[in-house]
Amino acid sequence: MTNNPSAPVSPVPHLQFKVALLLLLMLVMVSGSVVYVMYARGVFEPTQQVVLIADDSEGVKVGMDLTFSGFPIGRVSRIELDPGGNARIVVDVPQKDAHWLRESSVFTLERGLLGNTSIRAYSGVLTDPPLAGGAVRKVLVGDATAEIPHLVAAARDLVQNVTALTAPDSPLAAGLSNLRTATEKLNGEQGALGVLFGNDKDARKLIAALDRTNALLIRIDGLAAHADAQVFGDDGAVNRSRAAIAQLDAALGDARETLKNVDAVLREAQGAASNVRAATTDLTALRAEVEVSLHKVEYLIDEVNRKWPFARDTDVKLP
Amino acid sequence: MSPITPRQGAVAEVGRSAAKWFVGWWRIIRLGAWLLALSLSRSSYSRPYRASLLHQIYLGTAPNLLWFAVLSALLSLVLIRIVLVTALSYGLSQFALETVVRVLVLELIPLTTALFVALQCTIPQSAEIAAMRSRGELDSLGSQGIDPLQREVLPRALAGVFAVVTLASVSCVLTLVLAYVSVYGFTRWGFEAYTHTVGQIFNSAVAVIFVLKIALMSLAVSLIPVGSVLYDAGRARSRASAEMRGLVRMFLVILMIEAASLVGNYY
Repeated sequence: MTNNPSAPVSPVPHLQFKVALLLLLMLVMVSGSVVYVMYARGVFEPTQQVVLIADDSEGVKVGMDLTFSGFPIGRVSRIELDPGGNARIVVDVPQKDAHWLRESSVFTLERGLLGNTSIRAYSGVLTDPPLAGGAVRKVLVGDATAEIPHLVAAARDLVQNVTALTAPDSPLAAGLSNLRTATEKLNGEQGALGVLFGNDKDARKLIAALDRTNALLIRIDGLAAHADAQVFGDDGAVNRSRAAIAQLDAALGDARETLKNVDAVLREAQGAASNVRAATTDLTALRAEVEVSLHKVEYLIDEVNRKWPFARDTDVKLP
Repeated sequence: MSPITPRQGAVAEVGRSAAKWFVGWWRIIRLGAWLLALSLSRSSYSRPYRASLLHQIYLGTAPNLLWFAVLSALLSLVLIRIVLVTALSYGLSQFALETVVRVLVLELIPLTTALFVALQCTIPQSAEIAAMRSRGELDSLGSQGIDPLQREVLPRALAGVFAVVTLASVSCVLTLVLAYVSVYGFTRWGFEAYTHTVGQIFNSAVAVIFVLKIALMSLAVSLIPVGSVLYDAGRARSRASAEMRGLVRMFLVILMIEAASLVGNYY
């Protein structure tokens, strides 16, 4: 920059071109920024509205997000009071994200501990019909700060309980004292038995009983050795039983032979029975023939009686 | 007729100073109106004036563009890093990006650009005008039938406005890019989230205030120094005094614009 305006200005080569470049740079920067901000504001995106009704719009600001699964899918465009005194929160949802909102979607307005407020949408059934534009929904309000008094009250109760528990005359302290006594007894002469019975006399009785049981067990051991000899010895019950079983086996063999003989006898009786059946069949034929013959004889006698009427006895006796 | 007491003299002095102060402001406003009218006049861009206009625009912007961009990028990078690390240490990293964009793009860069252009461009230009005036060159131009405002003052004022707008827009875009890279790295997957955050910050009111702020600051740094040296009543006084008064006026106006923008953005 020259500080001497009266001096002739030094000419800049291609001044017009360079200034045109500068102008172009400025125009590109400014217009690019404007277009980018408009794009970021969603000016080029078609949107649909969802109206959320809340009892209290505290913490809700124009421009804040409506999130779905943590992703912003809409933006609060207006907050107003409806005739019923409720807050109407008008949310613009781009149509490309509107399919996440369904007829069954639930909207919540949550206030965090730090005063940060968020509006969330939950769509449990994504196959439900999509939410229509301009739909009005009641928003569920969850206020974390409202829980603080309850939390403080619960914490106070808890602290009181802990104080009562740890007091010198508390059951816990008494329990600990008893535990210490028990530990001392454990370390004492009688050990755990002293803890179990509470006095040394009973503990001694138990030890005496144990000693006697031990002696009894030794005697039972001797008895068992005797019984072993009786049962499994050379002349024991087991060997005798084995001999008896062998004799029983032989007797069974004899019985099997006898049964075979009986079987043969029965087979012969069966043959005789079949012969009798055949004889019975022949006897039937014979009887039929005799019957025919009798009929003929009867007929003959009838004829004789008719021709010889003085006959006294007309009956014919069959053998 | 009673003699004037010292108290009356002091009151009269204060009154005269206030009147001068108001007259000085009024002259600057009038100069702005004239220059605005001249800038909208077609004759200001005719051949006799065009060379001077192009020259002033080039000298006001081109030599400063590169190194101001580098300087503001470095400053932005340092501040972005500080904000990110601080936010991370407090577990508030989700607010870091918004803080960076608000602090740098909305507040610091326009202010820094205006002050930079004032120091590098418009105050030296006003010194040139004061020198020309003291040498009587402006009067001689008038006697030749050439409007000195149109010939000498308007190109310098337009150059100042152009420099502020260009440097501010370049620095803002550069800072936005640096903020993105600092937060997300060299990946395109953060673009949607970043754009969403920028969209949340630049709501209608903030965008209008931002544009107005840059426009008013550019006018302030372009008009006030030159207006102070052109119409300063104290011809007998030194040039440095007039420049100093212009500087004070300019800082006062920039401060008021900044305060007004803060009130508009955050209240």
